[in-house]
Amino acid sequence: MSSAPLVAPPSSGGFVFENVRRNALLERNGLKGPTARKTGTTIAGIVFKDGIILGADTRATEDTIVADKNCSKIHFIAPNIYCCGAGTAADTEMTTQMISSNLELHRLSTGKEVRVVTANRMLKQMLFRYQGYVGAALVLGGVDINGPHLYSIYPHGSTNKLPYCTMGSGSLAAMSVFEDRYKQDMEEEDAKKLVRDAIAAGIFNDLGSGTNIDLCVIKKGKVDYLRPYDEANVKGVRQGDYSYKRGTTAVLTKMVTPLSLDVIDTTVEVMEVS
Amino acid sequence: MALEQICGLNLHQHIDGFPDKSLQSMNISLLNDDPLQDSKFTLPPVAEPAEYLSQLAKRDGGPKIRFLHGTTTLGFKFEHGVIIAVDSRATAGPYIASQTVKKVIEINPYLLGTMAGGAADCSFWERVLAEQCRIYELRNKERISVAAASKLLANILYNYKGMGLSVGTMIAGWDKRGPGLYYVDSDGTRCTDRLFSVGSGSPYAYGVLDTGYKYEMTVEEAYDLGQRAIYHATHRDAYSGGVVNLYHMQETGWVKVSQTDVKDLHYRYQEEKGQA
Amino acid sequence: MSIMSYNGSAIVAMRGKNCVAIASDRRFGIQAQTVSMERQKIFEMAPRLYIGLSGLGTDVQTVANRLKFRLNLYTLRENRNIKPKTFMSMVANLLYERRFGPYFTEPVIAGLDPKTFEPFICNLDLIGCPMVTDDFVVAGTCTEQLYGMCESLWQPRLDDLFETISQALLNAVDRDAVSGWGVIVHVIEKDKITTKTLKARMD
Repeated sequence: MSSAPLVAPPSSGGFVFENVRRNALLERNGLKGPTARKTGTTIAGIVFKDGIILGADTRATEDTIVADKNCSKIHFIAPNIYCCGAGTAADTEMTTQMISSNLELHRLSTGKEVRVVTANRMLKQMLFRYQGYVGAALVLGGVDINGPHLYSIYPHGSTNKLPYCTMGSGSLAAMSVFEDRYKQDMEEEDAKKLVRDAIAAGIFNDLGSGTNIDLCVIKKGKVDYLRPYDEANVKGVRQGDYSYKRGTTAVLTKMVTPLSLDVIDTTVEVMEVS
Repeated sequence: MALEQICGLNLHQHIDGFPDKSLQSMNISLLNDDPLQDSKFTLPPVAEPAEYLSQLAKRDGGPKIRFLHGTTTLGFKFEHGVIIAVDSRATAGPYIASQTVKKVIEINPYLLGTMAGGAADCSFWERVLAEQCRIYELRNKERISVAAASKLLANILYNYKGMGLSVGTMIAGWDKRGPGLYYVDSDGTRCTDRLFSVGSGSPYAYGVLDTGYKYEMTVEEAYDLGQRAIYHATHRDAYSGGVVNLYHMQETGWVKVSQTDVKDLHYRYQEEKGQA
Repeated sequence: MSIMSYNGSAIVAMRGKNCVAIASDRRFGIQAQTVSMERQKIFEMAPRLYIGLSGLGTDVQTVANRLKFRLNLYTLRENRNIKPKTFMSMVANLLYERRFGPYFTEPVIAGLDPKTFEPFICNLDLIGCPMVTDDFVVAGTCTEQLYGMCESLWQPRLDDLFETISQALLNAVDRDAVSGWGVIVHVIEKDKITTKTLKARMD
């Protein structure tokens, strides 16, 4: 094939920097760039007797606006590993998806259940490569052949292996609950309560966190994804009815496009003629 | 001040942080907090108030006190007096703070002022002007001329030049010399002409005005021209809108002619275009 | 002045009973100056799949074209219509690729599943973080006003979705200087698309 394509094919992977110079120019000319969606968040995780419990609130914010009241911050990594994300929402979403996909390839080539250390190393190496510009603060937890493991991972790529940890803007409130009440080898119900209370502390004391509490309990060979585990803020029922009567809105033009319905399946029943 | 001296009181010493010298040099009366005493605000106690205030206005991040920056106002003289027409939108950034602002200030039965720029600056200083005009009337037993009234305002604004006031106004009236129309702004400009438009929507208004303007117009033609010019400005300018307030200055004083929603005007004009 | 409000826009999508609706304003301006009142901001991607793009005008058109291009390749390869959720991932990937030099546009997607006709709405931020909701999504220069309108007007199982979405958008843009000048609404049902333009304030 010698003819050059008219349009560039979709890029084969990696970031694209074609707009960077233009955007820098726009910003130099006094046009402010917008802010990306953040998860001003409370996320936490603990090790208990039989495994790991991860917890998260469900608020996503854009500046001072609550953009999503019930977003999911506990991301799937592997059947035995989950990961809570705080920071720039797109970064936590895409980073965990990417690592999840690479781990699945890893599992297919090794034929073994993936380990939490592997996930941790892949995440920290990726984040370190981007020098903190990928703004993902993570709490990674899972159970593998070596037992339960819990890591906290910072946007610049440093990690800690801990028995209990918190992240996000509500991390201080959540940590104060852990520091007060965490014990080794807790029973499952007590441990769930503790994580619930830690997240609730974040929800009520940090303006960036809110609404519900999600939990994810990971045990050997079993995962309970509890969404929501607890509704910390139940929305009140609207008293009035504000709906408009049909015909309120003045219409200038109207166009109706009928759509044909595809035939998905046809069955012919033969009529009995005896 | 006299009472203060009789009592042997030195008030200046009681004010912390204000050096005595700068206070005196600026001639501020502390006992009387009426800033209109000599039409002066309390200026910041620095050597160059104008320089200081202009730096302050440039600073980022402070509270935005600017309100009503976008506007369309117009005024023109014709055979039967002066027409004043304005829109009614107030904006704070892209947010529409109000669609029902009164941008014509009724100074007295023979004088009107329009508002463009800072809403507070306009309404405050035109109230000061109203007071001064009334005092003039009491002292001289006759109404102030439009020329004199507008000059009074221009002189006040010139005193504050460079200190961040934002005023762009038209003063319309009727006096011994007949109809009068003056443009005055916070730079200290003051001039007279047959036709003015002020504000962010003024280019659009001028376009309509210059096309349709004749000195020998009937009253009805003049009303329609004023209304159309404001409507077209609100249509194209994001920071103008709401209703058109239309005033007519006559020999007997001003009358408010109409208040029309530009939404109604738009669809009325559309219909007329369709029929033509 | 923000890049996102340089041209002005307002988009909203809502979920109803067995249907979805998406609406946008029609203004294209350059800061204060209104240039056009018939600007397309909602694009048809598949028979029951629409995307609304708010933000910088130039990027809106670029992104719409690039998405259509990628979608055509997908449809040719798969020989079937895309599911709204898959399309959302496609948009997210396009935007996230430019994580460090983004397009200044925030998309809103509304559609029905091509097989089950399940309603779907979502929006994404400018670097491609998807957010799926079961009530309404908004984007543009008057999101505050739109959130306020939608939070009070929207109810579960709306059957008169048109009135609700129309009034939400009309009243929101009346408090925004840089959007408005007409409104277009698409109501997507499994057997038809109803497109209406509304009588709005033109100031």
